[in-house]
Amino acid sequence: MSANTHTHHDVHDNGHAHSEFVPHDHHHHHEENFITKYIFSQDHKMIAKQFLVTGIFMSVVGLTLSLLFRLQLAFPDTPIPFMESLLGKWAPGGKLDPNFYLALVTMHGTIMVFFVLTAGLSGTFSNFLIPLQIGARDMASGFMNMLSYWFFFASSTIMMISLFIETGPASGGWVIYPPLSALPQAMPGSGLGMTLWLIAMALFIASSLLGGINYVTTVLNLRTKGMSMDRMPLTVWAFFITAVIGILSFPVLFAAALLLIFDRSFGTSFYLSDIYIGGELLHYKGGSPILFQHLFWFLGHPEVYIVLLPALGITSEVISTNSRKPIFGYKAMILSMVGIMVLSFIVWAHHMFVTGMNPFLGTIFMFFTLLIAIPSAVKAFNYIATLWNGNLRFTPAMLFSIGLVSLFISGGVTGIFLGNAAVDIPLHDTYFVTAHFHLVMGAASAFGLFAGVYHWFPKMFGKMMNPRLGYIHFWFTFIGAYAVFFPMHFMGFAGMPRRYYAQTAFDFIQGFENLNIFITVAAIITVFAQVIFLINFFASMFFGEETTANPWESNSLEWSTPIHPGHGNWEGDIPEVYRWPYDYSRPGVVADFLPQYTHPDDVVYEKDFDPNTDVHTLSYEEQMKVNK
Amino acid sequence: MDAQSILTLIKIFVPVVILLAALNVYLFFRLKDIDLFEKWDANKINGTLFLVFCVVGIALSFWGMAMYDDLYILIHNPASKQGEVIDQMFWITAVITLIVYVVTNFLLMYFAFRYAGSAGKKAYYYPENNKLEVWWTIIPAIVLTLLVLRGIFAWTEITEPAPDNAVQVEVTGKQFEWTIRYPGLDKKFGMVTWDSINEAKGNSHGYHFVSDKNTQDDFNPQEIHIPVNTPVKINIRAKDVLHCASMPHFRMKMDAVPGMNTAFWFTPTMTTAEMRKVRNKPDFNYELACQEICGGGHWNMRRVIVVDTKEDYEKWVKAQKTTYAAWLEGNTPAPATPADSTKKTEPAKVASAN
Repeated sequence: MSANTHTHHDVHDNGHAHSEFVPHDHHHHHEENFITKYIFSQDHKMIAKQFLVTGIFMSVVGLTLSLLFRLQLAFPDTPIPFMESLLGKWAPGGKLDPNFYLALVTMHGTIMVFFVLTAGLSGTFSNFLIPLQIGARDMASGFMNMLSYWFFFASSTIMMISLFIETGPASGGWVIYPPLSALPQAMPGSGLGMTLWLIAMALFIASSLLGGINYVTTVLNLRTKGMSMDRMPLTVWAFFITAVIGILSFPVLFAAALLLIFDRSFGTSFYLSDIYIGGELLHYKGGSPILFQHLFWFLGHPEVYIVLLPALGITSEVISTNSRKPIFGYKAMILSMVGIMVLSFIVWAHHMFVTGMNPFLGTIFMFFTLLIAIPSAVKAFNYIATLWNGNLRFTPAMLFSIGLVSLFISGGVTGIFLGNAAVDIPLHDTYFVTAHFHLVMGAASAFGLFAGVYHWFPKMFGKMMNPRLGYIHFWFTFIGAYAVFFPMHFMGFAGMPRRYYAQTAFDFIQGFENLNIFITVAAIITVFAQVIFLINFFASMFFGEETTANPWESNSLEWSTPIHPGHGNWEGDIPEVYRWPYDYSRPGVVADFLPQYTHPDDVVYEKDFDPNTDVHTLSYEEQMKVNK
Repeated sequence: MDAQSILTLIKIFVPVVILLAALNVYLFFRLKDIDLFEKWDANKINGTLFLVFCVVGIALSFWGMAMYDDLYILIHNPASKQGEVIDQMFWITAVITLIVYVVTNFLLMYFAFRYAGSAGKKAYYYPENNKLEVWWTIIPAIVLTLLVLRGIFAWTEITEPAPDNAVQVEVTGKQFEWTIRYPGLDKKFGMVTWDSINEAKGNSHGYHFVSDKNTQDDFNPQEIHIPVNTPVKINIRAKDVLHCASMPHFRMKMDAVPGMNTAFWFTPTMTTAEMRKVRNKPDFNYELACQEICGGGHWNMRRVIVVDTKEDYEKWVKAQKTTYAAWLEGNTPAPATPADSTKKTEPAKVASAN
């Protein structure tokens, strides 16, 4: 590439060759000040970092809340003095208040699902990678992108404020089923806390839509020359599909929330009917709580894939790069993601088999739910096949990606129990469900997030993260994730119900006292192991080793930018793309990677190798012969 | 270990982690030139760790599963015919998924170990194999189709309408207690609506005692009694928020929804006494729990279910005092005493309000 040697004048002229480059001009005519660069930035890279840091902050809060309720579950009868000093009236005498226990569970779920795994993952990496990997100067609308972050920030702030109000935050579970969430008489958290929850989520949905529309538009319109859809990295495919899912499903959650606001504040009866509470018959007539569940899960289930697909996309890229092998079944990977996207919209009611929904609907949703296991299985098999006969480099990102595949499998297979309506009857709302979604959605997606951070940190900050701290962090987290969530299956087999403040009132759930302590201790260790990551992340930003231009010897476009790319990403022309992104270890090519942007004339082949050989038909032995 | 020592351990552990992390940062970022681990091959170490993790982890997961086996009331000893169908479905699924869980995890981590990279090596360029893709699409598809078909049959069987001869029981969820109701000897539930509730007058259930004769032999016991080997239909209602009537031993669960009547039915196959013998637990009881978050007391909505022999059940039903009788005692219109005249008009008021 000669682009790097262009003068500024060249840049200006050539910058228009690939059009869509407005921000870059701007960059050269106006000095950026602190506010436009770090706060109200319209540069997708800065916005990505803003999402990431906010997401990290939210995850610290979300995980801390989980430790508090884990302590309660492990020691239901022991007063824990520091709880009182921390929580005040919510833990009188060091004993957690039952309502506040539910508040902790609710806020942990809300924060982790939406603010960490949705915004932290999609917000960070869709923003960061889409323009860089498709060869665009920035998002289609930098301004909308900026709004997307600030809506998210406002939403996070309101959600945080709700933790500190007198009646406590929303407490009806992250699914906020009415009537519990609609009636302040039913629990203190359903008062102001719930109102703030709804406002925060409305803002969050706005943020998510602003981002999603931008991602889709950018992917469809701003690809560089040669970057056809079938040459896009799987990360971009994943972000694209995720954005489509979000655009189609989040508005439904907005509608659900809006009707709930009407029921709560304006006396309508969309979800409420026939309620006698607090010695009083309420006026609501004719509403249906089940309607809310349909609307909620119409987002709620696709949300699982909104969280998971970006993680799988990141994993595809990281596993291929570090196996030094093409991702196995590129087209099958895309097709399975499209399959998951379509199916994700017609499986929502498998959350509602035992809510009083017509049983016939149950059979239909069971059918589609089990179908969705097929593309998921294909993805898992393809990852494993990619490792086969690879030359694996265990960077921390690679470790987290393999960890993700393992968690995805272990958590995924239990979905086959729960998707089967008959088996779901006993297992519904037990710890088996908790185990299932924490492994497959929570931990797996978090692993995707970690893989992404370790892999693209050099591109984000121009520094390397410390790999050895990364290894320590990985093994703590990997073992920890299994230690915390796997034993929950056992409690599920005993029928242990979810969201129980204390597991002391029933005979059939006795006998897990030690296991609860084990899980809590494992959770504490795992959460504190994340301190290693935090230290590595922030210290590397300042003291980390300087990175090289392409530290992982990767093929995709982002590594053709300068080490510290400015607003506009490439200093000269946007590079052209000549091939798909997964030409690793291509037979006959000297290097074991062949970047998308290397001109065919610049490829260095082995001596005596005919570049026109059809390498796809070469057996393993023939390939090794060619490679010498 | 008791709680206090665990807490102490945690208190020690936290500073140790922070100290170690700080030390590491110092070493990694400041003293690169005295790196003790420079010679270690990260690929080999991590690859080997994956294999070890896989073998030990799978072994531990089965060992842990086995360790709590006698607590798994949800997958052993089903106490109803429907439960037997569900358990069979569960175990078929369990065998298939456990195989997938072990094989795929093993391959994944074995490959991580086996193909741990080294400099100068080149990987096998093997981007696709459509035949393979088709196979591993079709095989899961066939397996899942079989599971779906079986699942649909099981589900349809369980959710079909209850037979006419089913014993009827009603449970009503409210914060934070289940109310139990039997239709009494006429086998018909009397009308109950929340606007008839009058706690002060002993009508906390909302019976239409005066206008509906069917209410008069309904009774509200503290325990659920059901006869063995007879279909039992549990009618479920909710007074305030969502609840969920869960009877894990019978593999039954259904939400209680305000404004809507839900139900499930099952045929218990073992009396409480028999189950006590089978499980070798003399104090065993079947239980009813709430399994849909309903507020601060969600965790504490217990009712005991007793499965009797048919004879014992009939005896028990006959021995119950109707709620109407109890209500009459509190609201008896003693004729001719003027002081009671207000009480006398009360039932009429309730009736007219309906």
